[in-house]
Amino acid sequence: MTRSKWLGGLKPVLFTLPAMIPFVLFWLAPLLYVFYLSFTEWDFMSPEKTFVGLDNYIDLLRNPAFYQALRVTVLFCAGSVLPVILIGLGLALLMNRKLKGSMLYQVLLFSPWVTPTVAVSIVWSWIYEPEIGLANTVLGFLGLPPIGWLHDPQWALIGVLLVTIWKSVGWAMIFYLVALRNVPSDLLEAAELDGAGPFQKFMRVTLPLISPTTLFLFIVQIIGALQAYDQINVLTQGGPSGSTRTLLYMYYQSAFESFQIGEASSVAMVLVFICMLLSVLSLNISKRTTHYH
Amino acid sequence: MRSIQRLGNLSRHLFFAVIAVLMAFPFYWMVTSALKTNDEIWRSPPTLWPELPLWSNFAAAWNEAPFARYMGNSIFVATAIVLLQVVNSGMMAYALTHMKFRLKGLFAGVILFGYMVPSTAVYLPGYLVLSELHLLDSYAGLILSNCVSVFSIFLIRQAFLQVPHELVEAGEADGASHMRILWTLIMPITRSSFAVLALITFIDQYNNYFWPMLITKDPGLQLVSAGLRSFFVEGGAYGLKWPLIMAASAFTIAPLLLVFLLAQKTIMRSVNMTAGSNKG
Repeated sequence: MTRSKWLGGLKPVLFTLPAMIPFVLFWLAPLLYVFYLSFTEWDFMSPEKTFVGLDNYIDLLRNPAFYQALRVTVLFCAGSVLPVILIGLGLALLMNRKLKGSMLYQVLLFSPWVTPTVAVSIVWSWIYEPEIGLANTVLGFLGLPPIGWLHDPQWALIGVLLVTIWKSVGWAMIFYLVALRNVPSDLLEAAELDGAGPFQKFMRVTLPLISPTTLFLFIVQIIGALQAYDQINVLTQGGPSGSTRTLLYMYYQSAFESFQIGEASSVAMVLVFICMLLSVLSLNISKRTTHYH
Repeated sequence: MRSIQRLGNLSRHLFFAVIAVLMAFPFYWMVTSALKTNDEIWRSPPTLWPELPLWSNFAAAWNEAPFARYMGNSIFVATAIVLLQVVNSGMMAYALTHMKFRLKGLFAGVILFGYMVPSTAVYLPGYLVLSELHLLDSYAGLILSNCVSVFSIFLIRQAFLQVPHELVEAGEADGASHMRILWTLIMPITRSSFAVLALITFIDQYNNYFWPMLITKDPGLQLVSAGLRSFFVEGGAYGLKWPLIMAASAFTIAPLLLVFLLAQKTIMRSVNMTAGSNKG
């Protein structure tokens, strides 16, 4: 191989290095490392990591806290993703037909998504203030008893969910507005000629055509919900009595509060596994059932 | 018929006005609460607008904690990350779309794999890696550990796929290097994607909390979210100085709302592109 040919083959690799080096260093290596750590017992301090095989995973399966966190995670995902998608779609459908000045509504509804979660969660913790907070004041006006939004295990998850939904519902709406604009109007007219009513048109034409957007929002939102940390940290810190402790929060606490690196790593691997499963699933579904045009 | 339509539009306006007011109300509540005295804020029922707006609360909150420093840190770190991501995403995407090499499939696969891994799951080992590299508690650590984003690479790759390869060949025929072709021929025509990358990355990094908080202990290195959170919890502020806390939240949020208002078209267009970059 001549020198110039060899250099020609090297150049593309050089172009990838500025991205690949940090990627390997801060993503790939840590991922392999946490996989290894999940088979060890370690407390951060001692120089030795003891290899314990599958013990961490077995302990996890016997740990009631793990099942509680799993349950909270499922509730958190369902409770944030479904409302965001349904409300986002509903708002987009209402806005889709020409409406003068709808840009202003779009900007207002979208704005929470841009703001720092920590700052808006602090604002919400003031709204949730038990005695004179806005939320309980409004309930009082309506003649309803006050709610322990962040202190009552029955309500804390709902309190955190409301903030989460508030933050991303406008974002989902914009996605659906774009998707609805791309539904060809001749298809809708053809359906109308075939005698389809508004509901049938929506179910048979619109909904299938926007299914790639639905799938995309679904996956992105679930992966986001699995990783939600900021609002939980500000509002409840996983409490009261674990009612808002998700798998991610459990991972954080066992790693950085109780220094059980082995346990934390096995929880991390469960999270990685769930995300990869979802991603592979979504790739398969989008190949098979979504409609492109 | 027309009057029915007009009635429909009117009710839709009414509906969206109510929704928009509800959605924006937390921001309004934040500002009015920031203007109240400690006495007035505990009054029941609460007043919708303070009797005597206390604008000095903003200055008081600003001086109570080093917010200028926090915000400076956030802006500096976010800007540095944006610049690095523009360079490395551009180069990576160029290699993936307009260059041929043997490891291309492998690299593309590895990046796709990164797309599936939740970044928060690798925070613990990431922390250990940073500590091995002596990058904890440093600007270098804050910047370098976030300097590559799979999302950014996908976004730019998607834009570069639309660029005809003939353009690259023409550039090569003129004797231009790949660097020149990338930054003077291709980047100008895909600049809207770069603008989206820059804005979304800046917002994400300015708002970033969890990871920067883990890897910095030095209060002088805190980003604005972490700084605001410690002002909220420590400093005797927890629940005692709500007006000051609301004032601090307001000036943390304000720059972002401003950026959003100035660049709303680009930011909302990002929706088009993110949806696209996922399909590709």
